[in-house]
Amino acid sequence: MHNAINQLLASANQIILGKDHKIRLAVCCLLARGHLLIEDIPGVGKTTLAHTLAKLLGLHYQRIQFTSDILPADILGTSVFDSANNSFKFHPGPVFNQMVLADEVNRATPKAQSALLEAMEEQQVTVEGKTYPLPNPFFVIATQNPSHQIGTFPLPESQLDRFLMRIELGYPDYAAERALLAGQNRQHLLESLDVQLPPQQLHAIQQAVTNIHVSPALLDYCQALISYTRTSPEYTYGLSPRGGLALLRAAKAWAYINQRDAVIPEDVQAVLAAVAGHRLRAGNNHSEAIVAPLLEKVAIH
Amino acid sequence: MTASPNQNVLIFLLTSIALIVLPHFYHLPISIFGFFYLLLGWRLAGLWKPAWLPNRWLVFLLTIIGLSLIYLQHQGIFGRDAGTHLFIIALGLKLMEIKTERDLYLITFLAFIVAASQFLYEQSLLMAGYILMVCCTLIATLVSINSRNPEPWLALKTASTIILQALPLAIVLFILFPRVEAPRWMLLNDRQQARMGLSDSMEPGSISELGVSTELAFRVKFTGAMPPPAQRYWRGPVLTQTDGKRWIPSPHHGLEAYMDKPVTTGTPYQYTLLMEPQNKNWVFALDLPIEFTEPLERNANYQLITSANPDKRSEYKITSFPHYNTGYITRVEYKDATQLPDTPSAEINALVTQLHGFDQPPEQFIKALLSHFRTEDFHYTLTPPVMEDKPIETFLFKTRYGFCSHYASAFVYLMRVAHIPARVVTGYQGGEFNPVGQFLEIHQYDAHAWTEVWLEGKGWMRIDPTAAVAPERIEKNINVDALATGETIQFATEGGNQNAFAWLTQARQLWSNVDYNWQRWVINYNRSNQQKFLANFGIGDIKTMMYWMIAILSGISAILSFFLLYQKPKTTDQALRHYQRFCRHLAKHGLIRNPSEGETAFAERIKATLPQLAQPAQHITDIFIRLRYGRASHDEDLRLLGKSVKEFTQENPLKKH
Repeated sequence: MHNAINQLLASANQIILGKDHKIRLAVCCLLARGHLLIEDIPGVGKTTLAHTLAKLLGLHYQRIQFTSDILPADILGTSVFDSANNSFKFHPGPVFNQMVLADEVNRATPKAQSALLEAMEEQQVTVEGKTYPLPNPFFVIATQNPSHQIGTFPLPESQLDRFLMRIELGYPDYAAERALLAGQNRQHLLESLDVQLPPQQLHAIQQAVTNIHVSPALLDYCQALISYTRTSPEYTYGLSPRGGLALLRAAKAWAYINQRDAVIPEDVQAVLAAVAGHRLRAGNNHSEAIVAPLLEKVAIH
Repeated sequence: MTASPNQNVLIFLLTSIALIVLPHFYHLPISIFGFFYLLLGWRLAGLWKPAWLPNRWLVFLLTIIGLSLIYLQHQGIFGRDAGTHLFIIALGLKLMEIKTERDLYLITFLAFIVAASQFLYEQSLLMAGYILMVCCTLIATLVSINSRNPEPWLALKTASTIILQALPLAIVLFILFPRVEAPRWMLLNDRQQARMGLSDSMEPGSISELGVSTELAFRVKFTGAMPPPAQRYWRGPVLTQTDGKRWIPSPHHGLEAYMDKPVTTGTPYQYTLLMEPQNKNWVFALDLPIEFTEPLERNANYQLITSANPDKRSEYKITSFPHYNTGYITRVEYKDATQLPDTPSAEINALVTQLHGFDQPPEQFIKALLSHFRTEDFHYTLTPPVMEDKPIETFLFKTRYGFCSHYASAFVYLMRVAHIPARVVTGYQGGEFNPVGQFLEIHQYDAHAWTEVWLEGKGWMRIDPTAAVAPERIEKNINVDALATGETIQFATEGGNQNAFAWLTQARQLWSNVDYNWQRWVINYNRSNQQKFLANFGIGDIKTMMYWMIAILSGISAILSFFLLYQKPKTTDQALRHYQRFCRHLAKHGLIRNPSEGETAFAERIKATLPQLAQPAQHITDIFIRLRYGRASHDEDLRLLGKSVKEFTQENPLKKH
């Protein structure tokens, strides 16, 4: 199992250069059955990352490009009158895929955004009174532009909470940039990728992740972190209970990736920025900076 | 708005409040006391039957009733009594409207005030202990309000800890905080409490039973030798004027300045006198007080008068000389000391003639009269027959039963008939020695009256006619227990205390000693005593006092905070303690673990900075992580961790760089 994950990470690293930690977080998010939000300026490899993961996991992949005029039906699907059967037939939308890339999700209107986000939360879609289950595994990678860019509808906090993690890719460093520029076309490389972790195996791993041991001492540390966010004046509001659960879930997956059968504080610290960054509101918008006081001031024991 | 308070907390609060108001029983009028406990009981019942609690209008009505009770009692709300009662009523009424947590805090703080107000009435050590105890329950109430699961015992434990931690601060504040004398207006409207003590007149014939009170009058601690019992005369008011029945002080206030200074001989007695509260400003010094300090003054009768508030306990340093010569007598004094209400009767004249009062020198007459008392059928009793008419003649010739006042007045009268200046001196005689505290206790039952006779070349001389009749009265102590029955008089015999109740006496003396020191060092620690005490340490003025106080308080706070902050590592988790020892050892190597640093991250850092320690450090870290975060903790691992850490700290001793 761990081999497969290492293989997957290695393959992904060949496509997206110099983003080892971010890829690990993305995989971690997947193993924890969470959805991922990637926030960055266009062109740093958001779409490529999503595509790579879908390819490596052998998942059905569909991309939805969000625009300001996209409608909920364009995402969920519509019922169309079938004259042959003399009845309405539901045509599933692009959301009915194992992996959905919601590109530039904050360019759409709130109505369209919420259609996707509700589907994410409930794992099912209800259209005209009928409920259609979404495939399993179901994994959404949404990308968004930094909210200060023109023509964006920032996701409200309540909807940001639906994403287990938010990561920022950032520019590649000098060496990675050089390799990127000198190397082959990414698209070709992507095509040549093999499936490293088939869905059955992914399902087994996801199951194993939930069984990772969490000791009372670790829960103490988690609670210390949570209560710090609630009491410290550095944060406008603290982590919600759902945020706390998300933190633990992600930490378990991180422990699994690092081949441990129990969560240690470093696992929590590793995922903290990605899990808590978009759930907290502080002076700035940069996840690492937002959680820095937590990592610095909350004692482990 | 918070949720309505927890029922356990309420029971706790009500119990502590019931305890706090209880000692006020001694001075609360029964109506107010009853009213308060009615409200308390009502509130307690309301815990189980919330519907019974009064609504807003009823509370308003109760408030009116409470205020009228106070008004009826005091005609106002000012003064000690009315103010205290107002607080108690307010506390009771506030109980009726506990809705939010805020109300609980308000009640608790009000209860603290009521607890403190008890000290306006009673300042004994026992009461202080009791108030401290109830304050502990009040703090425990505050602790319970703030805890999720109020556990009375745990709360009490925390409260005791808090009190113990506060104690050093309280002591520093007590010693160094500038004393403020209570302004006079605070004492307004307070009826003077009836205090036991000597009166300024004497009418022996009208008393059929001398009240014997065991209440303490004053205590004396000698710095050197102590006078023998027969010399322990504690001088009080001097009575010169008489109408044949009643004796009162001289209306002529002779000034000492016009008199001869007493000439003293022999070794003086130095002592500290701690007066209990009384309603007269007399200080009973040993005959004859020569050296004394402010606020004491000596009047023409050699009696000490204090200008301090006599309602408070106060301490005086006095030096007395047992042998003295007061020298000449002034004209006014002579006139006062020979005053007679009427011409003496034939019977009296006959007696004086018989005892050679008119033809022999005064010394001879005195001796004859004393032996007359001794040899004739005179008796000492505390329950003499009433002598309404001509008490002196009745006493001398008919009843011949009496106590000190009878003998003193008869003696002085007869002296004056013989034209010898004489006067009655009242005060105390004797005192019980407390071997534990090494001080004398003078009680109200030691009150006494004796006489002084002026003799040419000797000045005023003390003569105690009672000593002639009942020398035991002067040389030994009265057996008070026997006196209480009012029957016969028994004098405590030598070694009489060595009976089955000896331990009881010892316990009483021990307690008396503790109480003496409490009164002397704590209650009596007023402004002047504070100044004197602090002067010993070179603290002269208020400014230095404040500096010292702030410095010591900051010091204590710093020490306490240090302990509070650094006691955290003391955890019950054995594994964590081993790991902390490991970290402390590394800290000596200059590698300090950040509290928020994970164990593996720290191990990485050790590897990077101290490569030679990397392996054992990694080993320890692995075991610790297994113990702390692993699925099942093993005793084996714990032992291994302890062993590894021990080896680590021993094999890698601190190297000096």
